Amino acid sequence: MEALAQSLVNAVPLLGGVPLWAVTLLLIVAAAVIILVFALTFEGVGSYVLRKVAGDIQARIGPNRVGPNGILQFLADGVKLVLKEDIIPANADRLLFKLAPYFAFVGSFAAFVVVPFGVGLIAADLNIGIYYVMAVTSLVVIGVLLAGWASNNKWALLGGMRAAAQIVSYEIPVGMALIPAVLIAGSLSLQDIVRSQGGLFGIFGWNLFHNPFTFFSFFLYFTAAQAETNQTPFDLPEAESELVSGYNVEYSGIRFGLFFLSEFGDMFIVAALSTACFLGGWNVPFFNAGTLPWIWGNLLSLGVFLAKAFTMVLIMMWVRWTLPRLRVDQLMRMAWKYLVPLTFVNLLGVSLWLLVFKGKGIPGMIASLFG
Amino acid sequence: MGLKAYLDDIVEAVVTTAKGMRITARYGVDPKEETTMQYPEERWEIPEGYRGFLHNDVKKCTACTMCVKVCPIDCISLESVRGADKRMVLASYDINIGRCMYCGLCVEVCPPKSLKHTSGYEMASVARGELILHFIAEDAEEIKARVARQVAEATAKAAEAAKVEAQAAAKAAEVPSSGTKPAEEKKPE
Repeated sequence: MEALAQSLVNAVPLLGGVPLWAVTLLLIVAAAVIILVFALTFEGVGSYVLRKVAGDIQARIGPNRVGPNGILQFLADGVKLVLKEDIIPANADRLLFKLAPYFAFVGSFAAFVVVPFGVGLIAADLNIGIYYVMAVTSLVVIGVLLAGWASNNKWALLGGMRAAAQIVSYEIPVGMALIPAVLIAGSLSLQDIVRSQGGLFGIFGWNLFHNPFTFFSFFLYFTAAQAETNQTPFDLPEAESELVSGYNVEYSGIRFGLFFLSEFGDMFIVAALSTACFLGGWNVPFFNAGTLPWIWGNLLSLGVFLAKAFTMVLIMMWVRWTLPRLRVDQLMRMAWKYLVPLTFVNLLGVSLWLLVFKGKGIPGMIASLFG
Repeated sequence: MGLKAYLDDIVEAVVTTAKGMRITARYGVDPKEETTMQYPEERWEIPEGYRGFLHNDVKKCTACTMCVKVCPIDCISLESVRGADKRMVLASYDINIGRCMYCGLCVEVCPPKSLKHTSGYEMASVARGELILHFIAEDAEEIKARVARQVAEATAKAAEAAKVEAQAAAKAAEVPSSGTKPAEEKKPE
């Protein structure tokens, strides 16, 4: 950001009198606002699409009253959430109760910072990108746990406890399934990981097709990430048939809205991370978007990235409306007896592959066969 | 659990998930699977012989009270008075469709076929009293009073006629030698 601010000051002489830190701050706020607008729009439209997909899959129609084909439903929902009364139960822990939604929302929103939207479209290219995402999305569990505890409600408490157990368990397979991408790129930065999947192989440059182990690792990551973000086959924290609606049962109005938004934010983060780490990120097949003029390169790569990410979101919705919810013991067994050992074996496989074949993937080897 | 059972578990999970996803994908993609009907705009075609709300054509109704007698739950009530022309005149005809169970017995039994099932099935009201359908808008007491007046007028007229007749008969009796037949006098009326 500071480098960008410096170049901005150099480019526009009018800003010469303004101190560099002020320009930097302004840029930071601008970037945050752009990402917030994107995140909120995605979350709104996402909720509409989610309900439409649910309707299609369940042979229904879905929302179709507000606006043409119900497209404005999310605006109506948003207005409703903002205008509703914000109720705090009499025996709730007031401070924690008020605080919890912000933890959940900040946890999911902060992860947008390192999402590589395009060649140069990234709020902060941290050199610990993946690690940062893993750490900051874990803030969501604190919000959920706080909400469950502070509500003074048995359903909420049970939901919060389940969420804590679940997210802590699934953090391990998620991390282990992402490490293959890190190993191949040799960097934790998401931009570096995306760049490592470029080249002229087209879709065969993707980490997904690098070797058999990375192929499995994508599916392992996707499964574990669904569980980590409390998506439906693993939505035990809010299982409405058992826990009414889990940790957010006492919330109403805008505070409930924040939980709702954070859920959709998490959904996008999972989609974005699987796109960046396994599906080639913003790489445009067959030519290098980085060599195009700045604006066209960025627009093209943004389009490619969003197309991939939204496809992943659609697949998540598809899974969500297909699979029935797991039982608590099944969920834990799946994490500790299946996903954790499998991701470890997978990681070992990728490491050995990279060691034996000197970091070359199958498409690379085939390409070198033909010169 | 052996290694084979462990791997079989994983394969089973993948296969069953794929199977389920294929089914939902088929439903998601095929628009013909949508069976929801947008009710107020689209409706079912009403089948023949559908028993909707009852309607009584009061012009045809003879106030025979067959419907009242046959109704198993007594939801039809009617009041009638005998009119000047000896026919029954309906004073009120009410059906409580809140009670009606649409058995159709009243329609079957109706001799002039004035009571019919319509195709209507939509109604909403805020009070139970609104569920009673009144088929005669005029007040029952007014009708009764009017009919009573008509009957009184008719009887008065009949009495007048009878008096005239009696006088004529008396006159005829005064002159029995005139030779007219008393039976012929009564005939023209």
